[in-house]
Amino acid sequence: MKKQTTIQTAVSEVNDYATLALGGNVLHRAPMAFVRELARQKKSHLRLVKTAGAHDIDLLCATGTVDTVDAGFVSYETLYGLPPHYRKAVQSGKVKTNEHACYTVISALRAASTNVPFMPVNGLKFGDLIERNDYFVVVEDPFTGEPVTLVRAIVPDVAVIHVQECDEEGNAIIHGPKYEDVLMSRAAKKVMITTEQIISRYKLKQQRERIDIPGFLVDKIIHVPKGAHPTSCYQKYDVDDRALKNFLSLKERREIEKFIDQYQQQDHAVGGRAVRW
Amino acid sequence: MVNDYRISDLMTCVIADMLRDGETVFHGVSSQMPMVAMHLAKQLHAPNLVHLNIPGGVNPSSIKKASYSSAGADLVEEGEAYFGLDEIFDLSMRGKLDVAFLGGIQFDRHGNINASVIGDYDKPKVRLPGGAGSAVLIPTAKKAVIWRTKHDPRTFVEQVDFVTTRGNLWKIVTPLCVFVFRNGQLELDTIHPHTTIEEVQEQTGFPLIYHEIRYTKAPTKEQLQTLKRIDPYDYRSAEF
Repeated sequence: MKKQTTIQTAVSEVNDYATLALGGNVLHRAPMAFVRELARQKKSHLRLVKTAGAHDIDLLCATGTVDTVDAGFVSYETLYGLPPHYRKAVQSGKVKTNEHACYTVISALRAASTNVPFMPVNGLKFGDLIERNDYFVVVEDPFTGEPVTLVRAIVPDVAVIHVQECDEEGNAIIHGPKYEDVLMSRAAKKVMITTEQIISRYKLKQQRERIDIPGFLVDKIIHVPKGAHPTSCYQKYDVDDRALKNFLSLKERREIEKFIDQYQQQDHAVGGRAVRW
Repeated sequence: MVNDYRISDLMTCVIADMLRDGETVFHGVSSQMPMVAMHLAKQLHAPNLVHLNIPGGVNPSSIKKASYSSAGADLVEEGEAYFGLDEIFDLSMRGKLDVAFLGGIQFDRHGNINASVIGDYDKPKVRLPGGAGSAVLIPTAKKAVIWRTKHDPRTFVEQVDFVTTRGNLWKIVTPLCVFVFRNGQLELDTIHPHTTIEEVQEQTGFPLIYHEIRYTKAPTKEQLQTLKRIDPYDYRSAEF
């Protein structure tokens, strides 16, 4: 089965109302090329899952692509400040936030990865998050009678993960921090990998013990150099300070669409032609 | 500027002084100040402190490259081992995380922390970034320390709009003072040398609780010199 495809084709297979787990963390290794293509194809009513998001969630809120965000934290880091489009969308009621405690996202994905309906979470003991959200419930531990908080499983339809290298089968290596990406690849129904480089399987085999996501779990491979830009991709590029500041200065929908358009050539470039081996 | 140090230097040193040798300590995203404080403690009085962070680098030898992010790959590159976020949470759940540094936007006298919303949860006036790991770490870490570079009556309130979490809160460090959470209430621990009790009261939205006025220890010369060396680009002041 040929897994390698273009970003346009891969994104066209994402349905409206789908639940997407996005790899990376805050300003690092977010699958931005895929995220921008979701906006270009005018996907709608998506549910996003991530422990801590920034530009990815903000951009999709700016373009009206999202209905629900399940995350523990959504903000740029200190230097860049708060996510204006996410805030506006939540405050106006357009986007619903299911605020998690980061660990509860991890627990919900762990539940999905092992196909149980919920996961007990030690630690989530106090506060309004438990009472106000229907994805948490406190029950009696049937063994001890003590109260225990459960989090409902989150089964992503698609996990979208940007990596530095993978082979034609999708055997993928994440260099540097892996964040929740490996878990997402085990929890989701489908795994789509965007990658800086496609390496021949023979070469990758020499590093087989470093493979984080084995190819048999991967459905689509998209070759997109700079696919995390303007967030960072370890060993490839750092955060693009100017691009992020530029994005944060934009207010109108039209300006945001232009910002996304400026990436079109880059996002579509390599994936558009067959890579020969 | 106060004497030969700034408020950010003072806060960083106060935080460093709270840390003991051998403790396992975690900081999250947007946490440059505690990150620098952890390194300061490690350099001076706590060489065996274990520094854990979101990207998963255990004991990064340097923090000089963490320019805009305290969650970047540099902390792994400089680290001695990899220990991811999921594992750090698990560690805290089984009671083995000594100190966690966490943020928040609104705090009340009962030790409740709000990092979620101003106004109603479902239709908020202001949507805040969210508590990140606080709701599971503050109840499970042995000591939770909050730092906040703002101290005004909207930050320290009688009753928070929303309780993101509460639990093993130990101290809150602000530009004016240090609070300690004791007997179910937020008490004044020390006030910083450059302020007065009147000013702290004026900027706090509930009556201060204290038995005597004690002053925060000023940074030592050695601490200030070490800060210049380990944090030459002044990340500790990023929030000011």
